[in-house]
Amino acid sequence: MTFQTICILVYRKYLSILLLLFVGLIINAQDAPLTAISNPKGAPATLKMSDLKSIMKGEKQRWSDGTKVSIVLMKTNTSTGEITCQKIYSMSGDKVKRFWLGLSFSGKADAPTFCNSVTELESIVAQTPGAIGIIDKVTTGSGIKIIMVDGKNSF
Amino acid sequence: MPRLISISIISFVLVFIGSTGCSYSQITQIRGFADALASLQKDKVSFSLGEQDLFITSELSDRFSFLGESVFRFTNTTPTKFSVSIERIVIKYNIAGNHNILLGKHHTPINYWNDTYHHGRVLFPTIFRPLLFDANIIPLHTTGISVQGQNLGDMKFGYDLMVGNGIGSTDVLDNDKRKSITAAVHLKPVEGLRLGLSWYNDVISKGATTHDGMLLGWTVNQNLFTGSVAYFGNKFEVLAEGTSGTNKTDTTGSQHTLASYIYAGIKIKEKIVPYLRLDNLHFGTGEIFYDKNNTTSIVAGIRYNLNYVTAVKLEYQHQHGEKEGDTNRLTMQVAIGF
Repeated sequence: MTFQTICILVYRKYLSILLLLFVGLIINAQDAPLTAISNPKGAPATLKMSDLKSIMKGEKQRWSDGTKVSIVLMKTNTSTGEITCQKIYSMSGDKVKRFWLGLSFSGKADAPTFCNSVTELESIVAQTPGAIGIIDKVTTGSGIKIIMVDGKNSF
Repeated sequence: MPRLISISIISFVLVFIGSTGCSYSQITQIRGFADALASLQKDKVSFSLGEQDLFITSELSDRFSFLGESVFRFTNTTPTKFSVSIERIVIKYNIAGNHNILLGKHHTPINYWNDTYHHGRVLFPTIFRPLLFDANIIPLHTTGISVQGQNLGDMKFGYDLMVGNGIGSTDVLDNDKRKSITAAVHLKPVEGLRLGLSWYNDVISKGATTHDGMLLGWTVNQNLFTGSVAYFGNKFEVLAEGTSGTNKTDTTGSQHTLASYIYAGIKIKEKIVPYLRLDNLHFGTGEIFYDKNNTTSIVAGIRYNLNYVTAVKLEYQHQHGEKEGDTNRLTMQVAIGF
């Protein structure tokens, strides 16, 4: 076996491992569970996934108690933001931003607040009555409640 | 008596503002749109500026919000060769749920295009608006008051009922006692699909000036019926709208106009959309309100969305007009949002 052949075999082996890791990461990112959180005032304790999607698309202005719905999202270039775009909007990050630009421009809905970190998102949700947000962990921070979606903590 | 009414209105507004909480933090956003073009027509290349559109939204309180849209554009008749126009000033009050009252200058919610794209050229599916806009078939703006509801029930029903200064009026004064009425309804039964119908009525006084700058020698009773189908899915885009207009005077009777267009695009890649648009304007023989110029047009183009605020479009338009004959134009546009 020549040195060149050995190099090719090693290269192929590591390339396969790298590819497997890469595919694994993608699958992991798509499967990463998300959690819907809200301010204690406004949002109900449980929601159907179809209702959550509708709310996150700006189709509901007020909760049943009259509190204004405020949407808080992770920026679309963060991993959580990217998964949110796929799972909630079935769109790419760019399309979600375009969707909101069009909607706010037509005056039909207020644009969401986009956050750089989960801590920032949790803080805004905790401080804003009627706020609802999507994060990538099951949290029980103060001033925040978890919304069960289709009977589950995460989706 | 008028003073008493004024005091009552001011008190009403103050009570509403007070009831929504003084501690509400005001969130104001300023965005904008602009575009630049290059076109080839009659063996000549021309570069041109489009519009610069400033768009402001502000949440004034829990229930009050503001939307303003101002456009800067080339105007040959001013000393600076540019003019500023207020396209929209809308003060919105959320009554309950998804029901709102809107006061100010609106884009008349008469069809999908006028109620969706406004002056955000980066959002337009084609470079230019459909011909029925340039032919002034529909009143683009209405200054007045409206009640609006949206996303109601499983079918996501929506409505707009608007009363405003009619055609011939200014943004500060109505030219007659009659008000224009716009009633529009729509449904969004499945994701990406919107079906809409609207009716517009105005009695335009003798002596009023039309959008075309024509001085009316008759009082015109105008009725516009519009239907629209819009579908913007992951693969296909279709937008078809038609307006049937009837202008009636005591001396000329009723004249009917039909203006329509259909746009279709297909996403061959996520960011690349080739498209076609067909336009048709057909006026009644004795039309006295519109500038009668039966026209057909075909537009073929391609749109490349670099990102969500930058779009490059290249399109060819062949147009045949009763007055100007055949015209051909090749245009490239770069439209941005900022």
